[in-house]
Amino acid sequence: MGIDLQSSLCVDFGKFKLQNPIMTASGTFGYVDEFDAFLNVKNLGAIVTKGVTLEERPGNEGKRIFECTAGMINRIGLENVGIQKFIKEKLPKLREKGINFVLNIAGSSVEDYVKLGEISKANNIKAIEVNVSCPNVKSGCLEFGTDEKYLYELISRIREAYDGFLIVKLTPNVTEIEKLAFAVQNAGADCISAINTLKGLGVELNFNGTKVSKSFVQGGLSGKCVKPVALSMVKRIKEAVNLPIIGLGGISCLQDVLEFVAVGADAVQIGTENFTTPDISERLILELAEFIEKQGFKDFNNLKEELRK
Amino acid sequence: MKKNLKGKVLNIENVAKDTVKLQFSTSLKEIYPGQFVSILIPNKTLRRPFSVADFEAHSSENGIITVLFKLKGEGTKYLKSLKKGDSIDYLAPLGNCFTLPEAGKRAPQKALQKALLIGAGIGIAPMLYLKKVLTERDTENFLISGFKDEEEAVKGSDRTVIGGSVLDNIQNLLDEFKPDIIYSCGPKIVLELVCKLAEKNGLRAEVAMEKVMACGIGVCRGCVIKVKDMENGARLVKNASVCADGPVFAGSEVIWE
Repeated sequence: MGIDLQSSLCVDFGKFKLQNPIMTASGTFGYVDEFDAFLNVKNLGAIVTKGVTLEERPGNEGKRIFECTAGMINRIGLENVGIQKFIKEKLPKLREKGINFVLNIAGSSVEDYVKLGEISKANNIKAIEVNVSCPNVKSGCLEFGTDEKYLYELISRIREAYDGFLIVKLTPNVTEIEKLAFAVQNAGADCISAINTLKGLGVELNFNGTKVSKSFVQGGLSGKCVKPVALSMVKRIKEAVNLPIIGLGGISCLQDVLEFVAVGADAVQIGTENFTTPDISERLILELAEFIEKQGFKDFNNLKEELRK
Repeated sequence: MKKNLKGKVLNIENVAKDTVKLQFSTSLKEIYPGQFVSILIPNKTLRRPFSVADFEAHSSENGIITVLFKLKGEGTKYLKSLKKGDSIDYLAPLGNCFTLPEAGKRAPQKALQKALLIGAGIGIAPMLYLKKVLTERDTENFLISGFKDEEEAVKGSDRTVIGGSVLDNIQNLLDEFKPDIIYSCGPKIVLELVCKLAEKNGLRAEVAMEKVMACGIGVCRGCVIKVKDMENGARLVKNASVCADGPVFAGSEVIWE
């Protein structure tokens, strides 16, 4: 990269540090260095790994991807290698390559998450992001992240098990995001990332004369179309709690990054845009550094302060 | 190594009804039959994958990639609107390739004396490039392709079937030509029948599959199919991504559902 970015873009979360505020979102970037063909993964603030569960998961049957206007719907169903394989095969590579990373974890019971927290601690993983958009089997498959009581219990229990940097990724599929953000703060989390995907439905219709065949893809909506929702959520979370926030949802250019920072994000994640423009995250680091220099800000923190005034 | 590359449109023309041939410049030195490129479409979230229908390597930026596509949706409509000299942003080379007599990504096979190539509809695209490479590498081959009607037929096959199924009289061709391997690309239903036919005749088959893709490099798990887990006897079925583990699969490993 052309310019020295080390000090000017640094984000210090205390327990966890980023060399710059540009991260990549879970599920869009693999586990390690899969995007090294297009950029230098080491240059990113951090990558968030694909969501990892206790056991390996094959994911959903049937159609998993649906493109819609300015976005896409996915129903991958958390296909992943499982925590044991992650620790054995992916973790050594991440460390060997010097990639700053956050392990994204998902489960279907509090116990699953606690075990994942314990394993993360035992393996000295510095940061984890908790996906709470998973059905809680014991509460009739209500998602953990939609009920403040369950969410508080879940995060408290993970907090007891894991002493590293604990990020909770909130779901936007709720009425009052403030209450959930507050529950997460009270439970002892270190950071909130927002937002996860919105619930969406893709409808495919095929006509053969008067004969109609249709298929549905019900899943998580992401991409440019969700940005206004994400901005609104980040702003509301910022006003409700004191935790640092990692903003995500439809970011595809520097202007988007600045908007998220302006409403409360301390760092951002790039998700769906990785599919469209695979080197976008590295490009954004450069563009951000150039912008800071060109406009005359001292560093990223200074830019953040001015954007928040 | 896959890369994000830029090229210029060299030629764009209709080769059959609703069927377009697009040629663009490339700096790639190699891309093999079965592999594909993923083209950026402005204002679309997902890139569009296309099998390589022909490739010529030249010095510097002057190689040529040819793709063939049916006009289907907004992506192909945009590509058809391109003019000579317009820019193309693409990822390549993506995916694996068909087993070839020498070179290529897969291990060379000795039993590759005679190859039967079956292209159904626009599935002819990778077959045309495969035929060229097999011919260059002295492998006797025969390409049979099938189209709905005369107007949609793309040229370049040894035999073209119009109407009905490309597989209608295929057993006669097998008995007559006696191939060692069958390669095919086309709708899933045709590929499944090709694999069954190969099995019945004790032949190897390789088929190029298609599925809606998001990343194109195996990370998002959006385009997986079920295959037999050859390495691990304990678990019989596993997911394979069409974009990175495929698009070419051995007929014997695909689980049809």
